[in-house]
Amino acid sequence: MSGQIYHMIQNVITQKSKGNQIIARSIKTKMILKGIAVDKYTPSSPDDPIVVQKVKDVAKEFGL
Amino acid sequence: MAIRTLSIKGTDSRDMAQQAKTALKDFDAELLVFFASSFYDTSLPAKELSAAFPHSRIIGSTSHSEYCNSSYTDHSVSIMAIDKQSVEDVCIRVVENMEQEKIKLYDLLSEMEDQFGGQEEIFNHFDRYVGIVLFESSAKAEEAFMDSLGTASDILFVGGSSSSTENNISKVYADGKSYTKAAVLAILKTVNGYDILKTQSACILSEQALLVTKSNLHQRILYEFDHRPCGEVYAEVLGVPKEQIQNYFVSNPLGIVAEGEIFVRTFDQIKEDGITLHCGLPEGAEIHVLKIGDIISDTKKALDSVITYSPAGVINFNCLYRTFEMLSKELTDAYCSLFGRYASIGFSTSGEAFLGHINETSTILVIK
Repeated sequence: MSGQIYHMIQNVITQKSKGNQIIARSIKTKMILKGIAVDKYTPSSPDDPIVVQKVKDVAKEFGL
Repeated sequence: MAIRTLSIKGTDSRDMAQQAKTALKDFDAELLVFFASSFYDTSLPAKELSAAFPHSRIIGSTSHSEYCNSSYTDHSVSIMAIDKQSVEDVCIRVVENMEQEKIKLYDLLSEMEDQFGGQEEIFNHFDRYVGIVLFESSAKAEEAFMDSLGTASDILFVGGSSSSTENNISKVYADGKSYTKAAVLAILKTVNGYDILKTQSACILSEQALLVTKSNLHQRILYEFDHRPCGEVYAEVLGVPKEQIQNYFVSNPLGIVAEGEIFVRTFDQIKEDGITLHCGLPEGAEIHVLKIGDIISDTKKALDSVITYSPAGVINFNCLYRTFEMLSKELTDAYCSLFGRYASIGFSTSGEAFLGHINETSTILVIK
């Protein structure tokens, strides 16, 4: 399986920013500072279970 | 007049507060932001300012050295007085015991946001609401706090950590009280909006991204890059012997790059099998080795690219290391002349805040 991390990250950014580009950038930066290398993941990135869990935890922290 | 700035040297805090009261006698301040040399702490600067300005909200911090307009001083107090023409409402809270792990700020931020009509109002008028955060630096827990703050609120918070003079007194202040191991939070509802700038003394040396694979974020210890000892990898990137890496700690700090912005982490010292930092790194982060840039030209570029209008006021949270570097190179006059173009105050911080906790940076709030 691949792409799960990318889609989860995009989902967090989209849901939190609701189209506000400044908030989208700040959410992306906050995720990077939490240790998720956002730009590294593409739709073809393998689903590393540790990273998948980390993004799930971050989504939960953001209230999603 | 929506914002006024003062630089005061008093015999003690009461004298300082009385001088401020006289200087601002025709000014109705909604909010006072002050940075006081820690020399004043023993005579209670917040209490004296609160007595002199009973109708104003007050936040502040101790400082090693202060900036005001085009001046750099020490043993002084820099004050920014803001009236309702610039900030129509402010909410201030203090979080004590900020060193506790996994601090939760949702309820507090939600309560603060409710003062302004709640999250939806803030989201819809995002360009008017901004936060200031002042940390008392001895807690050494700014990373976790900024992380929690960022997940609890969309509001952008900018600020820094307290510093001190030779008396080593470090405090933050809110209204009449002083605090240690605490964070002061203020949400400002601005009238004309704001901008936030971040400029640092470093740029990317190596495009090679290093993955942090072992670290202790809370203890601020870095162990491994790419599953190898971090000192070994750092030496390779610089092309220097591993035994000499501490000679490069000042000139080549580390940085996380996010959305084109560099978030600097500076080295402290080699400790057993790791290296301690002044700001922790989480596992999973990708970092770059940096090189020191030109503070004056980088700051001018940052200010001029954003402040293309006449701002009401500017607050500069400038890293103490940058102040030391400018003092050693006799650059403070050139630096201060950049800020002399605005009504501005600032202080030399023990860490800066914007989206996260950062080092060797200047974070700047511009009130339009």
